[in-house]
Amino acid sequence: MAREVARRRRRRRRALWPYLYALPAVGAMAFAFGFPLVQVVRDSFYAGNFDAPIYVAFDNYKGVINDPQFRESLLNNLKLLLAVPVMLGLGLAIALVLNDRIRGMRKYQAVVFLPYVLPATAIGIAFSFLLQGNGVLNTALRHLHLGALAQDWLGNSHLAIVSVGGLVVWQQLGFCVVVFTAALLALPPETAEAARIDGAGWWALQRRVLVPQIRPIIELLTVIQVITVLSWVFNYVYVLTSGGPGYASSVMELYIWRSFSNGANGTAASVAVMLFGMASVLIGLSLWVRRRAEAT
Amino acid sequence: MMVKKHVVAVLGAVVVVGSAVFASSASSRPTGTAADDPNNASLTYWYWAESDAPGANGWLKKEVAAYEKAHPKVKITIVIQSTDTLTSAFTTAAQTRSGPDIATQWATLPTLTPAWSGASVPISDYVPASETKNWIGTPENLSGGKLWAMPQYLLGIPFVWNKTLFRKAGLDPNKGPKTWTEFLAAAKKLKAAGITPFGMGNKDGYGGAWFFSLIGKQNLNSINELKDAMIGKADFGSAKFSGFYTALADLKKKGYLNSDVASISFEQGFQLFGQKKVGMSWGTDGNVAAWEKQLGAKAMGVGAIPKWGKGKLAASYDTTQSSDAFITKWSKHPRAAAQFLMFLHSPAALKAWYAATGVFPADKRFPASLVTDPIAKKMLALDQSPLSVWPENFVPPQVDQNADLAAGELITSGSGSPADAVKLWRNELSKWKSQHPDEFRNYQKWASGA
Repeated sequence: MAREVARRRRRRRRALWPYLYALPAVGAMAFAFGFPLVQVVRDSFYAGNFDAPIYVAFDNYKGVINDPQFRESLLNNLKLLLAVPVMLGLGLAIALVLNDRIRGMRKYQAVVFLPYVLPATAIGIAFSFLLQGNGVLNTALRHLHLGALAQDWLGNSHLAIVSVGGLVVWQQLGFCVVVFTAALLALPPETAEAARIDGAGWWALQRRVLVPQIRPIIELLTVIQVITVLSWVFNYVYVLTSGGPGYASSVMELYIWRSFSNGANGTAASVAVMLFGMASVLIGLSLWVRRRAEAT
Repeated sequence: MMVKKHVVAVLGAVVVVGSAVFASSASSRPTGTAADDPNNASLTYWYWAESDAPGANGWLKKEVAAYEKAHPKVKITIVIQSTDTLTSAFTTAAQTRSGPDIATQWATLPTLTPAWSGASVPISDYVPASETKNWIGTPENLSGGKLWAMPQYLLGIPFVWNKTLFRKAGLDPNKGPKTWTEFLAAAKKLKAAGITPFGMGNKDGYGGAWFFSLIGKQNLNSINELKDAMIGKADFGSAKFSGFYTALADLKKKGYLNSDVASISFEQGFQLFGQKKVGMSWGTDGNVAAWEKQLGAKAMGVGAIPKWGKGKLAASYDTTQSSDAFITKWSKHPRAAAQFLMFLHSPAALKAWYAATGVFPADKRFPASLVTDPIAKKMLALDQSPLSVWPENFVPPQVDQNADLAAGELITSGSGSPADAVKLWRNELSKWKSQHPDEFRNYQKWASGA
């Protein structure tokens, strides 16, 4: 009996060892992620500055939800989601064409990928000059007698968010092409060859054989790009339009930054918590999709 | 299942340890300060002025070099600030109680709000009254009987017109518009001659904010009326306060503004006048000095902003110290910082400032005899007008950033009406009151004259 108890104790102690080994890493993670997370959640229930915070319960959340500027920012994030199918569709189309081993494939790949490696700030500044009312794009259109197409891309409240979306597509397209190309190259060539022998044309081959095989990758990339558009577009918006005119191109990240830079820490924290919640759902979705992809 | 349990355990541990770290940090407070020797210190100066006064950055660099030579144990690091983030960068620094020893802010509210929240120290505690009595514009930064910042320069916003383009449009080149009716008539003639009447940039909202300060104030009898509107004692929606948006919308509708006003920045807007692309514009004294070099004194006219409103402030000019310098609360060397700031008001530094920027120093000791250029003399006379006020100084920074700037953008982009602009102001004033209860109370106290 006594030996049995000692064995159980030893087993229990042994079971604790792995946790002890993991403790330094857990501590580091707690400092890097856990601490800010707890702090942000706590701040979202306070108003005023950090020195003399005032507990306001859910008032920050209520204030944010009732704030038309926040609603406009959220709506703009949702509008930007429309960029996701565009970049994925274009990326897939380009990857399928490149997958045919066309001459100069690598060069084309490099050209398409180039915008992705450029810093978003530099791109934003360059595009802000290109897209001004009398900027390079409109001047070129006018010279080509296409003046009717010249628009105030950044100064028009309806077009500003479209311009931001266009810029996001332009930069992210390269990433989509590279991921899709890699997925297509990893496919076993036998399936495609069998389909060709069976008389499948180019279109049928792509639609019925290749694309279905990389479906899990398409799903995964969709989730990644949705997260990008929700929570990684601050640079583009800040440099290109600063969220204007008015709040026509503001997004949630910019709203958080504006609130924090005005010292409205509680408001900034409450939106950050909301954005974190949305991103968490999407990350959960991405993990689920990845697990499915691994299973197939 | 087992894996899931482990993941949950690790995440749980992360949150628990994070909470513990949070709890321990919440109780810690910074303590202690180093010795404050004015002749032995390392100072960081967050500086901004170039946009107001081209040449300012170069001037400061030279002054720092001269000061460091005279005080070998003092090291001053200049960190140039951008217009876009001038307020926000310091607000963030103030939240963490770390950053520069000397900071720059725009006058009055952007300077006083950090003072109220304990992020700065009164400069009058470190600089003797025998020195501050020479500084011009100090009333802009008084609160609680203390002076909180040092003015460096005086800034007026004159109205300018291009004489060559006026002549081309059949207008008298030697007679700039003095009233709004004359301004609109000139704009009409310029437009008819194929010339863009008025040039400005408002992608970042500052053009609209200037319109508020220069035109919007003209229906007020005193700046106290604006203070009342900020704290809810008066309605900003009344025509007295926000009627100027109709005038701005009218300019946009009639095509009197440059077509790209909504997509070019404030700074880019200034370039239009120097490039002879617009008939009329406005700029700081520094901008005007730069334009004079580009166009020549004979090709441009300078005057006060045309009269639009009927209030007593319609007769006022718009001189302000614009930006100022103050010492931060967390600086370990406030005496060293104060001594350096006093040096920037030494006769040699003032003279060098004027030579570098063409902008007048905010100091009574600056000899007016140094101003010989006819346009500069005119600007100095305008800057010394008996009544001067810059209303933007009296708008809480958050409201300025989120309402004043954004509302003007709505109008110049044609995407919103004056009513939409007013809605934005009301919403932001209400947000400011609820998000910054302390600041609101301090503002009320200050507005009542405390």
